[in-house]
Amino acid sequence: MMDIVTIQHLKKFFKDGPQIVKALDGIDLSIEKGKFTVIVGASGSGKTTLLNMIAGLYQPTEGNVIVDGVDLSQMKEEQLTVFRRRKIGFVFQGYNLIPELTIKENIIFPLALDDTRPDTAYFSNLVHLLGLCHYLDAYPYMLSGGAQQCAAIARALITKPSIVLADEPTGSFDIKTTQNVAGLLKMTAATFHQTLVVITHNLDLAQLADRIVRLQDGKIV
Amino acid sequence: MKNMLNILARRSFQASRMRNLIAVLAIMLTSILFTTVTTIGIGATESVTLTMQMLKGSRSDGDFHNMTAKQYKALEDADFIRAYGLRMPIGFLTNTSYHNIEFDVLDSVQADLTFCMPVHGSIPKAENEIVTSDTALRDLGVEPEVGATVSIAFTAHGQNYQLDMVVSGWFEATSEQLSMMWAGTAFRDAHPDIFEYTYDQDRDMAGTYYSDFIATSTVGLQENLDHWIWQMGGDPDATNSDNLSATINTITNPTLKPTTLLLGAVIIVLFILCGYLLIYNVFDIAVMQEIRRYGLYRTVGMSKRQVKKLINQQALWLSCIAIPLGLLIGYFIGKITLPYMVNMLSSSYENVAIHVNPSPVIFVGASVLTAFTILLSTKKPIRVAANIPPIEAFRYVEAATSKKTIKKSTMGTSLLGLAWSNLGRNKRRSAFIIASLALCIVLLNSVGIAADSVDIEKQVSYSIRTDFVVVNAVSKNIMKGFTRREHGLGQKVIEAINTQPGVNNASAIYKNTLDDSYITYNFPVEFTYTGTDENTGIGYAVTEGGIVFNLGDDGHPICNVYGMEEIALARMDIQEGETDAHKLYRQMENGEGVLLGVASDMGTSILNPAFDLLEVGDIISVFKDGEAIMELPVLAKAALNGDDEEIRYTTHGPFEVGKDGLFLYLPTSIYTQIYDEPAIYKYSFDVEEKQQETIHAFLENYITNVDPRLSYASAKEARQDAMTTRTMLQFVGGLIGIIFGAAGVLNLVNTIITTILARRHEFATMQSIGMTTKQLTRMMIWESVYYAVGACMVGLILSVILAFTIVKTLTGGIWFFTFHFTLVPAIIVCILLLMVAAILPVIALKIFNKGSMVEKLRVTE
Ligand SMILES: Nc1ncnc2c1ncn2[C@@H]1O[C@H](COP(=O)(O)OP(=O)(O)OP(=O)(O)O)[C@@H](O)[C@H]1O
Ligand SMILES: [Mg+2]
Repeated sequence: MMDIVTIQHLKKFFKDGPQIVKALDGIDLSIEKGKFTVIVGASGSGKTTLLNMIAGLYQPTEGNVIVDGVDLSQMKEEQLTVFRRRKIGFVFQGYNLIPELTIKENIIFPLALDDTRPDTAYFSNLVHLLGLCHYLDAYPYMLSGGAQQCAAIARALITKPSIVLADEPTGSFDIKTTQNVAGLLKMTAATFHQTLVVITHNLDLAQLADRIVRLQDGKIV
Repeated sequence: MKNMLNILARRSFQASRMRNLIAVLAIMLTSILFTTVTTIGIGATESVTLTMQMLKGSRSDGDFHNMTAKQYKALEDADFIRAYGLRMPIGFLTNTSYHNIEFDVLDSVQADLTFCMPVHGSIPKAENEIVTSDTALRDLGVEPEVGATVSIAFTAHGQNYQLDMVVSGWFEATSEQLSMMWAGTAFRDAHPDIFEYTYDQDRDMAGTYYSDFIATSTVGLQENLDHWIWQMGGDPDATNSDNLSATINTITNPTLKPTTLLLGAVIIVLFILCGYLLIYNVFDIAVMQEIRRYGLYRTVGMSKRQVKKLINQQALWLSCIAIPLGLLIGYFIGKITLPYMVNMLSSSYENVAIHVNPSPVIFVGASVLTAFTILLSTKKPIRVAANIPPIEAFRYVEAATSKKTIKKSTMGTSLLGLAWSNLGRNKRRSAFIIASLALCIVLLNSVGIAADSVDIEKQVSYSIRTDFVVVNAVSKNIMKGFTRREHGLGQKVIEAINTQPGVNNASAIYKNTLDDSYITYNFPVEFTYTGTDENTGIGYAVTEGGIVFNLGDDGHPICNVYGMEEIALARMDIQEGETDAHKLYRQMENGEGVLLGVASDMGTSILNPAFDLLEVGDIISVFKDGEAIMELPVLAKAALNGDDEEIRYTTHGPFEVGKDGLFLYLPTSIYTQIYDEPAIYKYSFDVEEKQQETIHAFLENYITNVDPRLSYASAKEARQDAMTTRTMLQFVGGLIGIIFGAAGVLNLVNTIITTILARRHEFATMQSIGMTTKQLTRMMIWESVYYAVGACMVGLILSVILAFTIVKTLTGGIWFFTFHFTLVPAIIVCILLLMVAAILPVIALKIFNKGSMVEKLRVTE
C-alpha cells in the first residue's frame, strides 16, 4: 500500500518567552492511503501541532513532512494555500463556519475560492449523507452544534481532498451526536476513498480507527 | 462562483455597522478637509483673478497690438491660438462730461474677452448700432435703454465726426472712469474713411487692428508669440513698440511663486497626515478585531490576494459612501467660508467679485487626494490582514482569556496601573491617537498666536493718517491711479465737507500729474541709463541702484510733488533734519527748502536705503519750461506710508507720474506758486467721534447722488480690514483645527469602543472575580484620560516650541504682525479634550457593555 503522508524526524519547537517548548520532538510516522488514523494523547502532548504540520500550517524546526509525494517545506506560501485548498479537508474543534454565509455557501466556499463549481451529484450526495438537506439556505447561527459540525465536515469534503484532518471534531458534543458525527466521518471517508486523521479523546471514536497513534511529550509512544 | 467573494464582502460589510460608521466618518472628515481647502483656495484665486481681469478689462491669455489688416488675417493660421477677437480702435469720444468713453469696433469674441458683452439687449448688427455701459450712456445724457438714440462725437485722421447711434444693448459699468463703446463690423464697412491705415505715417490708431486671444496652450506661449512676430516681419525684442507687438496677460497667466507652492504643499501634507492617522487607526483596529476570521478564511483556502481583495472591496464601498458626502459638506463649508477669505483680500482690491462654482477641479482634486490618503493608510492594515497565518483560526481559545491581566488584578494592582498597561498593548496605535490629538492642539494654538499677533493699530496707522480721506476713485483703482489734472477734486466737494459738523484738521493735498511735465527737478543723483517707455512714450532715467525716474519735457525728472497745509504735514513721520513740523513748515513757506519723503519698510519708520538718495542739505533745483526758477535745499526727511503716497496701500498714481521718486512735500503756498494749474488729489480730515457715522452717511450719499467719480477711505474701514484679517485667521484656522480635533476624538472613540468590544470577555471575567461596574468604568476612564493627558503634554510642549520657532518666524516676516505669545487656545482645547476623554468611556460602556455577565462570558465560546 502507498503512504500518503510520510513524516521524518519531525521536530517543532515554540518559543514561549525565554522558554523553548518542544511541541514535537522527533516524530517518524507514515499514514497509509485510505486508512482511518486516530491520534490520542494528553493535553499539551503535541497532537494539534502534529495535525497542523500535516496541513502545512507550520514550518518544521527540523525534519520533513511529505504529503502526496511533495515535501511541504519546499512550497511557497501561496502554493501551500492552494495545496490546502485542493488536497486537505479541515474540520476543527468549534465549527468555524463563516457567519455571514448560508450553509450551502459555507460548504462550497473552498470551491468558489478556486473558481470552480461543485460536482452537483457529489454535493447532493454529501449533503444527504450529512443530513443537511433542509438547512442549505439557513445561516450557521440557526443550526444546532451537531448540524453545524456536519456542515463543517461537508465543507472539508467538498473539494474531494485526499486527506481529511479533524481536530477533536466532537469536542463539545453529547454522546449521541458524537457517535453520529464520528460515524459520518468514517462513512464519508470510506465512501469517497479518503484518508482520515482525527484527534480525539473519545474512545468510541478511537475504536473505529484502523490505527491509533499515541503521543506523549511530542513523541510517539 | 467568482462572486462568492463579493457575497462575503457584501455581507460582512453589512454586518459591521459600527466599523462602517466610524470608517465613513473618518474618510468623510478627510475628504471634507481637502474639499474645504481646495474650494477656498481655488475660489479665492479665481475671485481675485476675475476681479483683476475686470480691472484690466480683459480675461484673455494676451493681446496683439498695432497689426495691419494682413497681419490680422494671418492670425487665422496661427495654430497656437484657439480663439481671437477683433478690435479696431477709433478713439475717445469728445462729447463726454465726466466719464471716459473709448469708441472701437469689436467683434463678439473680443467683446466677450474684454467684459463688453451686453447684459441687456443684443450685440450691434446694423451699422448705426452700439453697445456701451449705463454710466457711459448717462454721461451722454441718455437713460440706458435698448433702442435709445445717442449722439457721439470723435476725431479720426484729423477729421471730426458727429453721429447718431442706436443702443442695441448695454451693460453695467465695471469702472467709474472708463467704459468701452463698441460698434460691429457693419460700422467699419459703412465708414471706410475712418479705418484707412495710416499708422506707419502718422501714428493714427484708427485703421490698425488689435486682438485679444485665448491660446491653445499657455505652455511656451512667449516663444510662440515671439516666433509669430518674427514671421510677420516684426521684432519681439524691440523696446519701442510702435509697431506690431504681443503681450501675455499676466493676470490670467500668473507666474506661481515658490512660497505659495510650498505653503500649499505643507497644508496638503498636514491634511494627508491627519487623514492617515485617522484612517490607519480605523482599519488597523478593524483588522485586529477580526484576526481569527482572517485566519479562518486562510484555513479554508483563501489566498492572501483574495483576503486583500476582500478588504479592498469593503474599503472601496466605504469610500464610495464617504467621499461624496465629504465632498458635498466640504464644498458647502468652503463656499460659506470663501467670502470671509475674499474679504481679507478686498483690503487691497476693491469690489472683489466672489466667484465659486462647483468646479470639477475641486471635486476631482479633493477625491484624488482623499483616495490617495485612503490607499496610503489602508496599505499596512490590509497587508497585516493578508499576512495573518491560518493558524490564528485555532489560537482563539488562548487569546481570548488574557491570563496575565487577570492574575495582576487579583494580585491587587491598581486600576490606574491596569489602565496604563492597557495603553502599552498597542504602542503604535496609542502613539497615533496622541499624535492626532496633539496635532489639533498645536494647530489651534499656532493659529491663535497668529490671530493674536495681528497688529491692528499698526495696520491702521500705516494705511491712513486721518479719519477720512476723499479722493477721485482712480486713486483706489490699483490698475490706474491719480495721474491727470482732470482727476483732481473740485472745490464743490471740499466746501460740502467743510459744512459738515465735527470736521477738523482738514487739508487739501495737491499733487503734480503727467500734465505737469513742464515742471521738473534737478538734484545730485547720477543716472546710468535713459530710455523711453514703450507703452506710455514717457522718457525715464535709471540710477545705478535701479531706481527709476520719469523725465519731464526738458529731460529732468518730473518727481512726485505734494502741497499741503501745516496740519497735514505735521501728521507725517519726519525722521531726519528739522523734525519740528511747525518750524519746518515756516521755513518751507519762506522758500528755504523742501521735505523729502523716503519709502520705508511697511510698518516701520526706517528709511529704505535703496530709495534714500539725498542727504539733508542737498539742493534740488526747480525748472519751469526748462528754466531754473527756484532752489530748494532738503530740510528734512520723512518715512512714507501708503497714505503719504496715494491712499491706503495703493501707490499706482505716483508710480505712473514720477516712478520711484523723488517724493517732495511743500506748503500749499509754495506748491501753488510753482504749478500753474494745481490739482487737489485728496482731501484728508479728522472727524469728532460722535459725528463719524454722519460723515460716512454723508460721503456715501454724496458719491452716489452728486459725484460718482469720487471715492473715500476711512480709518474705520482700515480697522475693519485689519479685523477681518484676524477674524479670517481665527475662522479658517479654527475650522481646520476643529476638523483635526474631530479626527482625534473619533480616533479616541474608536479605540474605546474597540477596547470594550474586544475585552468584553475579559471584563466579564474581571467582574466575575469581583470588579464592580463602577471600577470597570473608572478603569476605562483612566485609560481614555491617559491618552488625553499624553496628547495635552505633547501638544502643549510642541505648541511652545512651534510658537517660538516657526510661528514667530512666519509672523515676523509679515509687517502687520507683532508676535504675541499665548497658550490660551491650547489650554482651552486641553481642558475640552480631558472632559471629552472622561465622558466618552461612560457613554461607550453604557452602549456596548450591555447584557448579563454570563452572556459576556459566552461571547468567545
Ligand atoms: N503557537 C504556539 N506557540 C507557543 N507554544 C505553542 C504553540 N502551539 C502549541 N504550543 C505549545 O506546544 C505544546 C503542544 O501543543 P498542542 O496544541 O500541540 O497540544 P495538544 O496535544 O493539541 O493539547 P490539547 O489536547 O490541549 O489540545 C503545548 O505545550 C503548547 O502550549
Ligand atoms: Mg489540541
